[in-house]
Amino acid sequence: MFDYFLQQLIFALAIGAIYGLIALGYTMVYGVMRLINFAHGEFFMLGPYIYTFLFSGLVGLGGLAPVLDSAIAIVASFVIVGLLGVAIERFAYRPLRAYGRLAPMLSALGMSIVLQSAVRVTVGPQPVHFPAIVPSTPIDALGGMVTTVQLGILIAAVLLMVGLTLFVNGTRLGIWIRAASESWTTSSLLGIRVNRAVSLVFFIGPGLGAMAGIMYASYYGIMQPTMGSVIGLKAFTAAILGGIGSIPGAMLGGFLLGAIEVFGTAFLPILSFGYIGTEYRDVFAFAVLILVLLFKPAGLLGETVSEETTVAKKDY
Amino acid sequence: MNRTHILLSAAALLFASGAMPVLADDIVLGGSAPMSGAQAEFGQSQIDGAQLYFDQLNEKGGIKGNKVVFRPLDDRADPRQGTLVAQQFCDDSAVIGVIGHMNSGVTMPALDIYSECGMPQVVPATNPELMRMGFKTVVRPVANDFVQGALPAKYVTEKLGLKNAVLVHDKTVFGQGISGVFKDNFEAGGGKVSGTYGTNPEDVDFSALIASIKLENPDVVYMGAGMPQLALFLKQMREQGLKAQFIGPDIGFTVDFITQVGAASAEGALMTFQLPPYDSSAELKDFSDRHQARFGRAPGPYASLGFANAQVMAAAVEKAESLDRAGVLAQLHGVTVNTLLGPVAFDENGENTTAPMYLYVVKDGKFELIKQ
Repeated sequence: MFDYFLQQLIFALAIGAIYGLIALGYTMVYGVMRLINFAHGEFFMLGPYIYTFLFSGLVGLGGLAPVLDSAIAIVASFVIVGLLGVAIERFAYRPLRAYGRLAPMLSALGMSIVLQSAVRVTVGPQPVHFPAIVPSTPIDALGGMVTTVQLGILIAAVLLMVGLTLFVNGTRLGIWIRAASESWTTSSLLGIRVNRAVSLVFFIGPGLGAMAGIMYASYYGIMQPTMGSVIGLKAFTAAILGGIGSIPGAMLGGFLLGAIEVFGTAFLPILSFGYIGTEYRDVFAFAVLILVLLFKPAGLLGETVSEETTVAKKDY
Repeated sequence: MNRTHILLSAAALLFASGAMPVLADDIVLGGSAPMSGAQAEFGQSQIDGAQLYFDQLNEKGGIKGNKVVFRPLDDRADPRQGTLVAQQFCDDSAVIGVIGHMNSGVTMPALDIYSECGMPQVVPATNPELMRMGFKTVVRPVANDFVQGALPAKYVTEKLGLKNAVLVHDKTVFGQGISGVFKDNFEAGGGKVSGTYGTNPEDVDFSALIASIKLENPDVVYMGAGMPQLALFLKQMREQGLKAQFIGPDIGFTVDFITQVGAASAEGALMTFQLPPYDSSAELKDFSDRHQARFGRAPGPYASLGFANAQVMAAAVEKAESLDRAGVLAQLHGVTVNTLLGPVAFDENGENTTAPMYLYVVKDGKFELIKQ
């Protein structure tokens, strides 16, 4: 039974890491702008498509060593999707800032449809095979079994998360972001260019989303234009679970949601003696979410927003 | 721009769009399948097959000297679009028969509309329920899912001697239905089903489920689901080292299945399909060559079915005393015809009495027919 538990834990960590990376994009944008960026799932979807385009382009041009080709393509996908995020914020969200919360949110929903349809029309709606970046070799670990791809996802995701934490807590640009999310008006009074912080957030969030997308496509071996919809919703759930607006909260929420889903599938039938099947997994996962929110409405690591800051946030 | 110019450009436009006027004594037959979207490959192949037969018929002078005009419409595999298409065919009194639709979920709501306007219908969809809803306007030359679930169950229990199965389905009408049929036949063949697991139709991660299936140690896994879920499940199953025999339904019978799983992991997987391979008989080889010549590409997965359905419809029109819906309908159920896919005759429900089903195995990155 311990082997079984360990095996499921590995699955939970791999999918949880991906949820966490996407959730970071939701939570950072919400933290700074109080906006739920519904287009975020599409950045996740764009990642593997842009990666494939670049990688096959590089290989077609003669290319370097395959490892170098894919490294360049990965970094370039981060930058391209990040810049796209910045552009979308600049042209689709910023002009609507003065019109309350609803207008930018609807604009985000529209962006999501635009991006998804654009890929569907240009590349086609069918699922496309995505060749694994790292060859998937199983490794025995303490009675469980972990593949090199899972290991790669976990390492890359944790590195990105640690990097982000160091960046936000230890650099000047990070201070901008934290200041802007603490209080928009005060930071601009103190000479912080809030719009730059916003652009920065819209570069990092979608970039991380694209990375998660590449990991995901490489893990399951396919990509399709609709892949961002369901997983985007789940990552959004993870962000709320951890406390939306909180960066460590998004990471925790991602791993937690992964664990709830995997252990729900693995143990519900066993614990209920077969009466509750695996098809109840999502019922179980979302019941847990509702329970958490009933007792901690701000999420696990979220701060309870005081009346005063809420008023201040409304002013942007 | 003077008047002549306008007239000329109008005429040019008419030719360019290919809008040929229907002559009074032409026979108009409708066809509908998904021709865009994820299932376009399957849908378009049916339309192409039917078109090929009607072309051939017209070369020989049509039916009773009347030219056949085939009018295909796209239903996008969407039930809402399907009912619109059905209404469109019904409203056009020139249309005296319809071949469609490809998907069971699209066909089901459309049946009502076709039956209301007395439209003779040849159905390519495979859900068993479709022919048991009491509509008198439909026939189905293709085998239904009772046959599709039964064949692999019989094969693994009798030929391979495998007795311990696990079922996975995606909770859809199709997926749950067909795994239920497999279960009944597998148990009738002396096998034991040690677990049934439901997933969501859009799930991509089956790793937790597969780990718990491993505890059951089955030697057969039957999966009633769509694509890419069939491919994802098998890929993850092999990654976890679960070596059980994998069996899937017709949706998985596509090259995408093998590329997405990877040829090595797909090796040995069984898949049921309603049609024989294009190189299995002289007629089919000839069909394949003519398809290549007419469209410039090899026939798609359902092309021969489209051709055979067109043969059935044409045979009913041929026998009709009057060239209208009522005349064709009177002959539809009694029609017997030797099609490209074998003889067709219908029972009281409109099901083909001898509809064949074929079992394929993945071998060296290709689907290969298993001889019965």
